[in-house]
Amino acid sequence: MAADPIHQFNIVNLFPVAKIGSTEIAYTNSALFMTIAVAGISIFLLGSTMKRGLVPGRMQSLAELSYEFVADTIRSTAGSEGMRFFPFVFTLFMFVFVINMVGLIPFTFTVTTHIVVTAALALTVFFIVLIYGLWKNGLHFFGLFVPKGIPIYILPLIVAIEVLSFLSRPISHSVRLFANMLAGHITLKVFAGFVTMLTAWGVLGWVGAVLPLGLTVALTALETLVAALQAYVFAILTCIYLNDAIHPGH
Amino acid sequence: MDTSGIARGFRLSTELVAGVVVGAMIGWLLDRWLGISPWGLIVFLLLGFAAGVVNVIRAAGVDPNAKQD
Repeated sequence: MAADPIHQFNIVNLFPVAKIGSTEIAYTNSALFMTIAVAGISIFLLGSTMKRGLVPGRMQSLAELSYEFVADTIRSTAGSEGMRFFPFVFTLFMFVFVINMVGLIPFTFTVTTHIVVTAALALTVFFIVLIYGLWKNGLHFFGLFVPKGIPIYILPLIVAIEVLSFLSRPISHSVRLFANMLAGHITLKVFAGFVTMLTAWGVLGWVGAVLPLGLTVALTALETLVAALQAYVFAILTCIYLNDAIHPGH
Repeated sequence: MDTSGIARGFRLSTELVAGVVVGAMIGWLLDRWLGISPWGLIVFLLLGFAAGVVNVIRAAGVDPNAKQD
């Protein structure tokens, strides 16, 4: 078990919640860590802003910093109109960020290593863009697929390519987060597995194990960066896509 | 967007693959529904590849016609 790098992604049913037909809906370790993330974020944000200090304390500064960070990201990519999506983008960013960070702690489960989760998040973004774009701009939203200044005889081809490009968004959006987290966690586990395998060989193994151990430490640092970066990339792509719904004109 | 090299490379490759995958998926479904195999797959795989390249050009930020705002 210790040497199996895939074992960490196993879904374990903790207790059953409901049964629909023959499908059992259970509370899993994945759901547990989502709950931990949501509870952690809520406690952090509510607790740190409880005092409403004019001069913020340490925790309040952190909460204000996270607000400013996401708000700046939205303003720079989707304009001030994008701020109406602030609650959504902030929730997404904090959720992914905390889940990625909690997943770095040994013996925890990383929810974002399952494509079901990232695909659900990416599809939510996709449908919000689609529905909000159509609701706000009506049929002008489809102007997104018709670039200006294209000769009429190749326009059908260009429109087809633009539509496919639009449809491919949730795939690249979800796969990027999922694959980065999955690859990172497997690499970490493989190198950590080398340490235990080598130490089983006696003194010579102990000497040899220094290298993978050092690499594991270095990789943990790299993964911390990746975890934060991918949460940011997920949020900024959400903003870029939302920008298309707000300003569909090319 | 200034990110590390591996993240940037990864982003661009997923953009390309996503375009091809969506094209192949739509082509395959059209083939099944309309019974026009293999034309749906041929046409939409090529269109999907083009869409993937468009995605990559946009993601790389080298689009000469990019909107200025």
